Amino acid sequence: MISPLDRKLLRDLAKMKGQVVAVSLVMACGLAMMIMTRSLILTLESTRSTYYQQNAMADIFANLKRAPLSVAERISDLPGVAMVEPRVAVDVTLDLPGLTEPATGHIVSLPEDGGPQKLNRVFLRSGRFPRSDDRREVVLGETFANENGLSPGDSLVAIINGHRETLSICGIGLSPEFVFEARAGETLPDHKRFSVIWMNYRALAVAYNLDGAFNDVCVDLSPGAKAEPVIEEMDRLLTPYGAGGAYMRKEQASAQRLDDELRVLHSLSVLYPLVFLSVAAFMVNAVLARIVRLQREQIAQMKALGYSSWQVGFHYLKFVLVIGILGTIIGGFGGRVLGEKFVDMYKTFFRFPNLLFQMDYSALAIALLISMGASAVGVLSVVWQAVKLPPAEAMRPEPPADFKPSFFEKIGLTRFFSPTFRMALRNIERRPWQAVFTGGGLMLATGLMVLPGAMSDSIDYLLTYQWNSVQRQDVSVFLTEPTSSQGFHSLEHLPGVTHAEQVRSVPARLKYAQYERKLSVTGISRDCTLNRLLDESGKPILMPDEGLVMSKKLAEVIGADIGDEVEIEVLEGRRPTLLVPIRGLVTDYAGVAAYMDLTALHRLMKEGDTVNGAYLSVDQKHWDEFMRELKDTPRAGFVMVKRDQLAAFRKTTGEMIGMISGLYLMLAIIVAFGVVYNSARIALSERSRELATLRVVGFRLSEVRGILISELSMIVLSAIPVGLVFGRGLALFIMSSFSTETVRMPIVIKSSTYSLAVIVVLAAAVISFTLVSRMLGKLDMVGVLKARD
Amino acid sequence: MNAATPPPPISTGVVFEARKVRKVYQTGEVDVVALHGVDLSLNAGELVCLLGASGSGKSTLLNILGGLDVPTSGELIYKGWNLDGAEENTLTLFRRNCVGFVFQFYNLIPSLTARENVALITSISRNPMTPEEALELVGLGARMDHFPSQLSGGEQQRVAIARAIAKRPEVLLCDEPTGALDVTTGITVLEAVERINRELGTLTVIITHNAVMSEMADRVLHLSDGKIVDSTRNEVRLPASGLKW
Repeated sequence: MISPLDRKLLRDLAKMKGQVVAVSLVMACGLAMMIMTRSLILTLESTRSTYYQQNAMADIFANLKRAPLSVAERISDLPGVAMVEPRVAVDVTLDLPGLTEPATGHIVSLPEDGGPQKLNRVFLRSGRFPRSDDRREVVLGETFANENGLSPGDSLVAIINGHRETLSICGIGLSPEFVFEARAGETLPDHKRFSVIWMNYRALAVAYNLDGAFNDVCVDLSPGAKAEPVIEEMDRLLTPYGAGGAYMRKEQASAQRLDDELRVLHSLSVLYPLVFLSVAAFMVNAVLARIVRLQREQIAQMKALGYSSWQVGFHYLKFVLVIGILGTIIGGFGGRVLGEKFVDMYKTFFRFPNLLFQMDYSALAIALLISMGASAVGVLSVVWQAVKLPPAEAMRPEPPADFKPSFFEKIGLTRFFSPTFRMALRNIERRPWQAVFTGGGLMLATGLMVLPGAMSDSIDYLLTYQWNSVQRQDVSVFLTEPTSSQGFHSLEHLPGVTHAEQVRSVPARLKYAQYERKLSVTGISRDCTLNRLLDESGKPILMPDEGLVMSKKLAEVIGADIGDEVEIEVLEGRRPTLLVPIRGLVTDYAGVAAYMDLTALHRLMKEGDTVNGAYLSVDQKHWDEFMRELKDTPRAGFVMVKRDQLAAFRKTTGEMIGMISGLYLMLAIIVAFGVVYNSARIALSERSRELATLRVVGFRLSEVRGILISELSMIVLSAIPVGLVFGRGLALFIMSSFSTETVRMPIVIKSSTYSLAVIVVLAAAVISFTLVSRMLGKLDMVGVLKARD
Repeated sequence: MNAATPPPPISTGVVFEARKVRKVYQTGEVDVVALHGVDLSLNAGELVCLLGASGSGKSTLLNILGGLDVPTSGELIYKGWNLDGAEENTLTLFRRNCVGFVFQFYNLIPSLTARENVALITSISRNPMTPEEALELVGLGARMDHFPSQLSGGEQQRVAIARAIAKRPEVLLCDEPTGALDVTTGITVLEAVERINRELGTLTVIITHNAVMSEMADRVLHLSDGKIVDSTRNEVRLPASGLKW
């Protein structure tokens, strides 16, 4: 049995259903974002934790040149080490019949004794592991197999240490080590052209002259053991074997990408909901304040009939509860739908045995509490003021609202203002917070509209910059081993090559003050025209004879600037160490890099004209022929084809950005519409007497409509420019939260993005105004005027 | 009261002519007949009092006269201009140029000062007096820059009268103008109305429950059940200041 008060509540709510929906939707936007992000965090964290645990993800990783297996035993004796897995890991070129360009395979060996892996255990999706004595059988990475339509029983050709080998696929698998599966140094996955492959140790080790040795090792720590001392000891043991330094799980490429994603989600899970919920709380407050003022007499009557202040107060709080519950239901549902879509998208980037969306129900409960709490706090004072009035006083009409001349009038601008303009100004000044929050909501909507445009503008810029200005080569080829210029000439003379430039890169440790970074120092010739180094203004940097040119980001991270001297310790060959000054800073957006003049690098390495890669421009007419021959080039370790990178980028990141843009667009429209509609509706209700008076004294409907919207228009028009600035700030914040040392986003916002934001917000405002204007047309002039306020 | 020089009466002769005016409201499934064929003629310069109990139809009649509503049937002619069945725009123009309204609850715009409340109307009228003149006429020359919240009830109602007459309307319609006021304040307001009627020659129609007020009128019309049941002409009009209730 519904009590009479609840019946009143339901009918009152039905009468203001437009506003209830508008407020609930804005609230739902915040809650949906919160529930989505919290659930994605839960999904990723719990799936990751189960996967890492069940498949024994290692704690420490190291790559080296070659060390006998006995060294691995010495590592296992180190205090704090629970398990060691020595392996052979190499990059090979794959030749797939359906693919013109070569693909890259990262082959990791399975344990030498043929037993199960101790660490980074492969999760077998289908098929089986290679037979212990088999030299050709491999387990192929799942995404590559899917993309290229390969399954157990099929075969593929790999160039293993210069020899074409036909490998037979016996299983399809994935590993916790490669949740994010991309070539070393690549920021995006290219599942069609890159795969991790697992094969028996012996087959691989023999091919690379590593039998009885290893060039890659993973370590599991004992419970409670600290990583740093183990790393220190490992470095001491492995440095003589060409190790570049062991690193922790959090520095491992795949794990790092997952961490980055979680970090972004964590920051989004707080900031966004907070902003949306503040706007929603204000809207609830404004709506309820109006109801309470309108129902002043009813409140008095309820109290006169014997209802206690608590009962009456609680009755009005129920309005908030209903809106909050409605918002939570819509937000929960929306959060779930969005979350599921994001999980589907994550599957493109992150490979888990089973990535299933998990709803964070605690977030739902928290969301409900927060939304109710925020709204209730906002309305408590309104309700309290209403219930504390003695009934007799409440039944008397409220005195006219107190106004005073606005600031602009006080400074002598009165004569420029029409009476209606003065009304609007004074109304805004009388309730500045209402104007501030309405403006704030619109600012938020405008800003949200700027964000997706800014993202696609920045990506467009990035693509043009990276693929037209910087990377002008069609293909970059990296050789499996450094070679003399003879190796370069064989690439230079491939069919269709119109221009070729030499590349020599060496792994190095860069030290400056307390900072230390491992990276590649790339030597390029002074007159290079293909892979260009551009400074902040987009001008090519002329490679100095001596000294280093490095990523601006790297300089920022280590706190160095042009002119400062950094120490370079080469981690290859004779391992020379050199102090070099920084001569230039490159604006680049992926990874961090350091460059030297090719000759200077050769001098440093005390080597002849050694190269380990080339940048090539290829005549498109000879493309297929070029690719066919490149596939057969034994030393070509890994090949990056510009147009494939571009396609992969569009497919993965483009899709993600598209989805995020759609989401923000939807949120922006809801907020813009919700805020303007709610404010206009409240203005109509609060000022119905004024507006009816104007109609009665002879103002046309259009004139009265103008007065109704003039105040809101002022707020809309002043909020939009602030919103554009806010949008820029938001884009900066969001995009820099995406930016890491591995990927950065240039921040570029075109004027068309700003224009679109303005148009959408104005359109939402116009639609809201139109809806409210229609109600104005139906206003019962006489009824309103004869009623007591 | 520092009276400005009154302009000559706007017109003479019949202002309103109503014939068999009926008004039926449809409320849900029930038809409520508010006016049962009213015949009426109102002349320029007259001060007419409409008396009647609640629901007698006096407000409906006033609304129809003022162009806030249209009759369901019958004829309503304002100075040769047929108002029954007029379009919304025509009625807006009629209200803008010809009629001034005063309601029981002053309905001033709280965000505008007294002067600005009047200026709101003078800004859209064809031949208005200045807001200052209008406020002087109701004796509020000294309170022009006060906001409604700074004025007493009587003062607010006088601003409402100034606002109504600033456009020099042919007709001033007052719906219970003293309903929310005490006696003394009510009389001050009626004095203002009387002065407007006398000095500007505006046809003034006052709706009231208060029979005492009829003594200041030229003519008193009694309404009951939507019909004019009685019409009396006062031989002598008492000044508003002489009324007591």
